[in-house]
Amino acid sequence: MPDTAPAAVRADAPTDGQPIIEIEGLNKWFGEFHVLRDISLSVNKGEVVVVIGPSGSGKSTLIRCINHLEEHQQGRIVVDGTELTDDVRNIDQVRRETGMVFQSFNLFPHLTVLENITLAPIRVRKWKKSKAEERARFFLDKVGIPEQALKFPGQLSGGQQQRVAIARALTMGPKVMLFDEPTSALDPEVIGEVLEVMVALAQEGMTMIVVTHEMGFAREVGDRVIFMDQGQIVEVGTPEHFFLAPREERTKAFLSKIL
Amino acid sequence: MFEVIPPRPAPAGVAGIGGWIRRNLFSSPANTLLTVVTGLFVGYVVIAVVAWALFDASWGQVWANQRLFAVYRYPADLLWRPMAVLAAMMALIGVMGGAGRSNEILRGLFWSLVGFVAVVTVIAILFWPSARVLWTGVLAASVVGYALGAARPALVRALPWAWAAWLFLGFFLLYGVTPGSGLLRIVPARDWGGFMLTLILFTGIVPSFPLGVALALGRRSKLPAIKYTCIAFIEIVRGAPLIMWLFVASLLLPLFLNTDPNNLPAILRAYVAITLFSAAYMAENVRGGLQSVPRGQTEAARALGLGGWLTTSLIVLPQALRAVIPAIVGQAIGLFKDTSLVFIVGLADFFRVTEIVANQPASLRVTGGVKLELYLFVALIYFFFAYRMSIASRQLEKQLGVGTR
Repeated sequence: MPDTAPAAVRADAPTDGQPIIEIEGLNKWFGEFHVLRDISLSVNKGEVVVVIGPSGSGKSTLIRCINHLEEHQQGRIVVDGTELTDDVRNIDQVRRETGMVFQSFNLFPHLTVLENITLAPIRVRKWKKSKAEERARFFLDKVGIPEQALKFPGQLSGGQQQRVAIARALTMGPKVMLFDEPTSALDPEVIGEVLEVMVALAQEGMTMIVVTHEMGFAREVGDRVIFMDQGQIVEVGTPEHFFLAPREERTKAFLSKIL
Repeated sequence: MFEVIPPRPAPAGVAGIGGWIRRNLFSSPANTLLTVVTGLFVGYVVIAVVAWALFDASWGQVWANQRLFAVYRYPADLLWRPMAVLAAMMALIGVMGGAGRSNEILRGLFWSLVGFVAVVTVIAILFWPSARVLWTGVLAASVVGYALGAARPALVRALPWAWAAWLFLGFFLLYGVTPGSGLLRIVPARDWGGFMLTLILFTGIVPSFPLGVALALGRRSKLPAIKYTCIAFIEIVRGAPLIMWLFVASLLLPLFLNTDPNNLPAILRAYVAITLFSAAYMAENVRGGLQSVPRGQTEAARALGLGGWLTTSLIVLPQALRAVIPAIVGQAIGLFKDTSLVFIVGLADFFRVTEIVANQPASLRVTGGVKLELYLFVALIYFFFAYRMSIASRQLEKQLGVGTR
């Protein structure tokens, strides 16, 4: 008998919930480099999953696969009942239901804050301009910067820009929010204002997958924490489990460095 | 105890004109020497040129051939046709200037063109009885356009269509419809020329813009057939001088289209060559802009559910074009002067008219010839337009540099 690969660690959602994201046996290569290895992960509606791990561990690539900004080569990704295939209609369907927040904000610099937020609702959801603007102002209010609506992104601070980016994603009415290191590019004194918005969002019951180095956030609002290293899921557990009694050596080594 | 020290005036030799002169022109013996020598040289040249222009030059041939310079052999009784096209152009520019009068650049461009037209109109009223009404009409059209644009800025949205209609109808008005002597009789293209032809060829930049954008986008296409066709076109066209393409167009285009060369006026062939040549350069300029847009912009747009076409047209292209507007204006300035190369395929553009006039018997009778006068006149006109565009380009760079990204 040939040697079989060691069984991968699965990160299944609790069985009492209703899964909205299901990833099964996901593999991805960049050229020859095996960046994601046998990832199996499911997320329930309303869950907040925090993904941590050293840089280069594949955690950003993983959540970028969920809205198909990265293409996977093996495995299944199903988001709210739609499987991601090469079919563009499926991809667009999934992207409409998932909001994404990037490390570098990626606001459109040639559009005002309001236009940044209303562009996709008007063009993709086909809302009337008045409805889109009304919803946009509602979410700008929610992230605490209603007075910035008519400014350009370049006139805002980093923390304000990231809050606009969150409002932009929320206005589309997504079922899932993906956060790709949302506070890594921010000055220390404005990280708090962005985290506050995210905590409020989690408490309202939004389904969230958050790639972050903010352990305080993971501990406070995370339902589950996933530790990744070298393209694999190494350990899964509640925040209490992670920060009080991690099992794996690699997890312990990583946590001891950043805590 | 802390006390604010009140400001004191700068010592003599630092501030004011005297200070500037001392610091920049006479700061050391060597510098003083340089200043004196340069000053003498510049003074000598200026005095010599002015003295020549006022006392020795004979401007009679420039003055006598004004119509050749303007429209070449376009029939005198049909001059209202090119003038009507000019009036329409000035009206459209007027709408642009009026609607965008809060923009320093549009306003400046409009008023310098109107200034040019106004000077010619005054000359016409004083010296050209037959053209008085026409030039006054052009001036009036500019002002009416400006007033319209100022009163109804929303008209700007119709401008792209208006310009397209202007190009199309303008051609028919210049060329005519009926052969022989009927209404709008045809003026064969071999009679077109002068500054009119230079301007016509310069409008080649307009169709070259969408073509160039399409080529630049095609070059980034994922489909190999489109991608490599665009690359081949761009590289081949850029790989040879414009003069060669003008030859190719005049000799090969009729062959490709399987038609008699006489059915395809030389102007049309040159126009096609200039447009395609300009499009290849436009494509490379636009490609530079496309590359300057960060990948995150596309990703953010796609993550919001925008499709490929919407992402390109609403997010990527606006940012890319904004980044390369100065380069495109630079290209326009270059093309404006490069149109003079069409003399090589037998067209009598503004520049070529100098040679024609210089060889007239009247010119040859003048001692020493009149070439210098003719070239100086042509150079001044080219300079006026090229330098005005250059000013606009610098203003644009300044305007685009602030408040973006």
